[in-house]
Amino acid sequence: MPKGAIFDDALSALGGAGLPVEVLRENGRRLFYQAEDTEFIVSRPSDVPVFVEHGAADVGIVGKDVLEEQRPNVMELRDLGTGACRMILAAPRERADEVQRAISHAEVVRVATKFPNTARGYFASLGRQAEIIELHGSVELAPLVGLSECIVDLTATGTTLHENDLVILDEITRSTARLIANRGSYRLRHEEVAALLDAIHGSPHG
Amino acid sequence: MQRGATRKFSTTPGTRDILPPESTRLLDVQAKILERFRLHGFREVITPALEYSEVIEEPRLRDASFKLFDPDNQMLLLRPEMTTPIARLVAQRLRNAPTPHKLSYGLPVYRRTGVGHGQSAEFHQVGVEVVGSTSLGEDAGAIALLIETLESVGLRAPRDFVLVLGQSAFYEGYLRRIAPEAASELLVALAAKDLVRVDEISAGVANEASGVREIPRLVGPATDASILERAARYAEGEAAAALENLRGILAHLNAGGHLPSVMLDLGLIGRHNYYTGAVYEVYAAGLGFTVANGGRYDNLLRRFGELLPATGFAISLERLLSVLPHEGPAPLLVLVGSTVEATRLAAELRSSGVPVLHLAEDLTPEAAVGYARSVDASWICYPAPEGLKLAPTEPGGEFEPILAEKVAGMVLS
Repeated sequence: MPKGAIFDDALSALGGAGLPVEVLRENGRRLFYQAEDTEFIVSRPSDVPVFVEHGAADVGIVGKDVLEEQRPNVMELRDLGTGACRMILAAPRERADEVQRAISHAEVVRVATKFPNTARGYFASLGRQAEIIELHGSVELAPLVGLSECIVDLTATGTTLHENDLVILDEITRSTARLIANRGSYRLRHEEVAALLDAIHGSPHG
Repeated sequence: MQRGATRKFSTTPGTRDILPPESTRLLDVQAKILERFRLHGFREVITPALEYSEVIEEPRLRDASFKLFDPDNQMLLLRPEMTTPIARLVAQRLRNAPTPHKLSYGLPVYRRTGVGHGQSAEFHQVGVEVVGSTSLGEDAGAIALLIETLESVGLRAPRDFVLVLGQSAFYEGYLRRIAPEAASELLVALAAKDLVRVDEISAGVANEASGVREIPRLVGPATDASILERAARYAEGEAAAALENLRGILAHLNAGGHLPSVMLDLGLIGRHNYYTGAVYEVYAAGLGFTVANGGRYDNLLRRFGELLPATGFAISLERLLSVLPHEGPAPLLVLVGSTVEATRLAAELRSSGVPVLHLAEDLTPEAAVGYARSVDASWICYPAPEGLKLAPTEPGGEFEPILAEKVAGMVLS
């Protein structure tokens, strides 16, 4: 279970599939819950694929953005359609044109991000150059204090960008929550995983 | 400076020293596995740890490799796996020998990626390759050997492990026929285990192509006939041949009583563009990673100028050890004493079959017991008039006089 923005959606998806998620609604600081035959691990979204890849968790829910960044060796089973957000390139309003021009002239721009692989891949696919500065929080701050010229970050509503007077220059990808499974668990406990998949509500594709 | 200096004496990231009892266990299990391979006529080869970088072609493996340069400035790799070096060996050294070549190996391989993700930079692979035969009986034979090997080291299927079997040509054959324009993209998505992407692409292809979505979801025990029945709906052309191949392999496995260890997964196709037929992975209860994997790769040797089909598997030894049932230490007796009589006794005991560590010093019993426990010896003895005095090293063990010829009965029981 990922903490943060997609936690509630993940909770209702699993609850809708009949898992005993009620224990998770208590507002505690516990990270490990047990209910009936199910154990729940609550972790940072970026750690969810690690728990699942190593088999510490059989299945997990995590945003596509994290999967794109980490490329873990896990089974990606279902698009839950929730937690929709966009990976974007943004810059301060008054310098937006300048940054746009620098990128199109293949000048090196400094990019602050929590998603260095995604950012590197994006600039490489454009044939443009970037100096990636990896941060672990409050990426929006970086261009305001001169740490970077622009940012690659995730946004759902755009509120934080707006409040910090940042404008979107480009949309890199769209992301929604995914149900992932450990490769071994997917086979060794296939009946249970398949039952969960059948019961869970997914996107129109799924 | 101080910190830098200490660092030089640690092992490099992802590598480690392996100490007893783990090291002895690793070598014992490896020896047991190679012995099992020999029962099937596989003969061991040893290839160099260093290969020219051109030998390894797959980009993912090249990226994963440690690289260095020789005096002629040629780029070398520390081998990241064993299959390609063996393919090279066969193409270069066994060109005129009759096929099939049945070769085995037990050697360390090296990868720089995966360090920090639960994988080591250096780990041991034990495996076999059958080169020069297209017979599905060889695929089935390799799979049966893998299952028997895992059983011989103490694992039981399906309680402890399961072998997941797929046929990479089935899905590919179906796609090439029904959705040729989307085939490559679908195969890339499935090789990345991204079923969401498979569904997204399948939404864009013709409605009657329901197998695009369904085939990767055909998963179940090999004893469950309904999996193959559902697969048969999509079997035409190349896909039909692939399914027939899979049925043949299952028939051979059934003859050996191996079906209960096997699970079918028609969505398992392995690495992109690598396997050309059967493909399999072994999963063990309580471990998130594969313990072994293998399959048929008929195109690998073409690069070395030989059109030789091949099939085989590799077991990851460290991962296998991590799921094996715990075993107590092997019997060992510590004999304490610096006298000539002690040396004579040690030789006599060894000739009666007792493993003896002769500690040629005059230690007190307390110090000697401490030493014996540190080397996992369960017995300790001193020379005594009329034979020796023997004690177990467990707490409260008492010395008792015993005749030399009776020691084997005590220590080895």
